Amino acid sequence: MNSSLEAKALGLALIVASASLGGAWGSAFFIQSHVTFVSSDFQGESLPGDITSSPVLIAQGREFFTMSCAECHGDDALGGDEAPNLHHLVISNARIAKTIKKGIKDEMPMFAKKYDAHQILSLIAYLRSLH
Amino acid sequence: MSIDPALWSKLHGASTHFPVALTMAAALFDSLGFILPERSGHKAKLHAAGYYAIILGALGTFPAVLSGLFLTKGVVLGHDALLYHHLFVWPAFAVLVALGVWRALVGEKFSERGFRLYLVGLLLTAGLMAAAGYWGGELILNS
Repeated sequence: MNSSLEAKALGLALIVASASLGGAWGSAFFIQSHVTFVSSDFQGESLPGDITSSPVLIAQGREFFTMSCAECHGDDALGGDEAPNLHHLVISNARIAKTIKKGIKDEMPMFAKKYDAHQILSLIAYLRSLH
Repeated sequence: MSIDPALWSKLHGASTHFPVALTMAAALFDSLGFILPERSGHKAKLHAAGYYAIILGALGTFPAVLSGLFLTKGVVLGHDALLYHHLFVWPAFAVLVALGVWRALVGEKFSERGFRLYLVGLLLTAGLMAAAGYWGGELILNS
């Protein structure tokens, strides 16, 4: 039996695990506040030009968002009781466009008839501009 | 500091599979080593394999976690599939690091009761890792 060794090892293990978890979450905070990403599209899918560098496109997207999305997703897209936060989306632009166009069964209406491709692009530009 | 996020997507994909596989291998080797009788002649070898697998697996979680944080731009929880991924990743990360440290310090000088508890934690962590991997796959398939 090596109860003493095991107990000491357990104590140190818990300290290292806590420090590692704290370090990871601290790194997350550092990344959020200090790291700038070259491209907002890290899923490997490109859209015409850098859509997030167009203030006009973003403003247009913001307008459409307020008209059609803010009721459920909140005025600042931070989510509501029935719809998720849309900041820091990690799905591709194609996936966002598809969701806007086709909706989600029993959860979100489709907007394919309401918005054309350029208008959906502006909505994506707005969503990608959220931080 | 400016970093191309595509780099982290590739690095995360490349680094996550090592800790998942090594944790499961450690669980398999140590479970077999625990179950098999001394006379089999494989007990010590299986525990040795489990020892190195858990330590390498625990070390492998750090690049996986760091590249994942860069990939999501520092999101700790997120929502939908990413939220589920993280709900399994964070406990798995903490427990795996704890198990790796414990095993590295104790080595083969464990008591039967201590090792039983270690095995329970290891099997639980393997399950958490599998679930985290499943939701990570869902993130890729849905994107």
